[in-house]
Amino acid sequence: MGNATVDKTSVKAKGMTFTARKRIGSAVTSIVMIAISLVCAMPLWYIVINTFKTIADMNVNPLGLPNDWTFDNYINAFKTVPILRSLWNTVIVTFFGVAIQVIVGALAAYGMILRKSRFTSAVGAVLMVAFVVPAQSTLIPLYRMEAGVHLVNTLAGLVLIYLGGAVFCYFLIVGYMRSLPFELIEAARIDGAGPLRIFWNIVMPLIKPILTTVIVFQTMGTWNDFMNANVFISSSELRTIVLQVYNAVGQFSTDWPSFMTITVLALLPVFIFFIFCQKWIVSGLVAGSVKG
Amino acid sequence: MSNATAARTLPPINEALNRKRRKARAFHDDLTSFWFLLPILALFVVLFLVPLAQTLYYSFTDFNGYSMNMHLVGLDNYKKVFSDSSTLQGLGFTILYAVIVMVGVTCLAIPLAVVLNKKFIGCNFVRSLFFFFSVPSLAIMGMVWKYIFSPMKTGVVNSVLSIFGIDPIPWLSNNALAKFCVIFIAIWAQIGWHATLYLAFLQAIPADLYEQATVDGANKWQQFLHITLPQLMPGIVTSTFLLMSGGLKVYDLPYTMTKGGPGYSTYTVTQSIIQQGIGQSQYGIGSALAVLFFVATGVVVFLQMGISNLISRRFQ
Repeated sequence: MGNATVDKTSVKAKGMTFTARKRIGSAVTSIVMIAISLVCAMPLWYIVINTFKTIADMNVNPLGLPNDWTFDNYINAFKTVPILRSLWNTVIVTFFGVAIQVIVGALAAYGMILRKSRFTSAVGAVLMVAFVVPAQSTLIPLYRMEAGVHLVNTLAGLVLIYLGGAVFCYFLIVGYMRSLPFELIEAARIDGAGPLRIFWNIVMPLIKPILTTVIVFQTMGTWNDFMNANVFISSSELRTIVLQVYNAVGQFSTDWPSFMTITVLALLPVFIFFIFCQKWIVSGLVAGSVKG
Repeated sequence: MSNATAARTLPPINEALNRKRRKARAFHDDLTSFWFLLPILALFVVLFLVPLAQTLYYSFTDFNGYSMNMHLVGLDNYKKVFSDSSTLQGLGFTILYAVIVMVGVTCLAIPLAVVLNKKFIGCNFVRSLFFFFSVPSLAIMGMVWKYIFSPMKTGVVNSVLSIFGIDPIPWLSNNALAKFCVIFIAIWAQIGWHATLYLAFLQAIPADLYEQATVDGANKWQQFLHITLPQLMPGIVTSTFLLMSGGLKVYDLPYTMTKGGPGYSTYTVTQSIIQQGIGQSQYGIGSALAVLFFVATGVVVFLQMGISNLISRRFQ
């Protein structure tokens, strides 16, 4: 909208030539940007298009359209690799991991803004430290701890490791929560609503924008995680999808189209998720980053 | 507020009772706040405090995971860390990676976001495309790029080069080239996401700032320097923070692309911790490395926060 007003003033100031130049400029931007984005997206094209080729076809013609479209790679992939199983594992781990993280983080953020005391400032400082601790420096004891209670190589164990992300959620949410009108909470309290009810019925709907941002961030991180899955999961039926792709590299060392097929099947759900959520993601990002 | 006025009109005898009641309510509030904070505190103890203390303790012992008969060995593990060339190389590459990726992504994502913020034909398409290729996991991207950079003629990059009569280049088996490739891919994979972040901040800049500047006769470059950049400062702080802390923790991409090789040229601190601590059960050395890593990350993160606070204060 800002652009439109600028346009009008410039038309008045310099006449038609300026608008014409501007239009050409915009066309040039268009062409250049579309070209750049297509070049950058080449690897994605390369992955997708080669899943419809045979090995021989891919070797002679790695970037063009297939000579004969074949779907054998997909049929083979489902036959040889337990993809659905891995996808299901990833869905479970991501769902429970992210849901618990976000709820714990939001509860903590609410507890923080509810009251300002020496206790809450101490908790704030402690969480700040936790925020800086890299997962890598607690990995060895965590592995031993989970091994001690037989949680290594279970999905529950992996979910437990992901819960550390609650601290990150807390930080994003608390910043946003501080900008909420506190009178709303005060009013609900005078009306006799209990703290849990206020949290669930009033605070949670109010912080929806930041919740979207946090959920997207954490879903992406958990779904794509390789390090923890690689360390904590060892049996093949519990592999997450990223781990499954990693193993497929070894399995199909020379059969590139098969490997690409597994990759496509692994990436597809994330792309679908993002296509459906894109609108909320971008608006959440604005709300989250501007206020938080 | 209505409470306060009511209290003022009450006779003084009730004052003490009132104070008592207020105290009870404060205690009640503290308790409520505590219940809300309890889950995160429990997670903190289990996932951060206890393991961190253990890491610190192991780092002074010769614990190997099996024999319960461990000894305190003082700073031996730390000495070993600093005399082990593979670990030092890993440290060097990790820092190189974090710094170059941070600078590279920032310098490319800001101009990209500024262009994407304009209206042109197909701008939504381009925005989505840039956003989308930062969605897949870096681990998977590493594996795919390994194929693309394959040293044989069958690798796409080399087969394209061979059209122009250039001999196959050993992308991932040459030390310097492998480092370059890993960093290049990391920048490629993260530009879209960070440009999207900057785009969100750009869209929040009030348009009248630019109108005012145009009226005052400021050119595009001056507008960028004096309006866009200062307004983007919070975005730059967030983005560089994410890039720096993420860069120091890097593991997936180099590991799936090169396994840390050739030699140790793309070895990372994280790979070293996992390999020594869990793979070879040298808990002591792995833990010493983890402690050093924690301290280093802390220092870098706080330094960076301090610097970006200073800069953003200067702009305001």
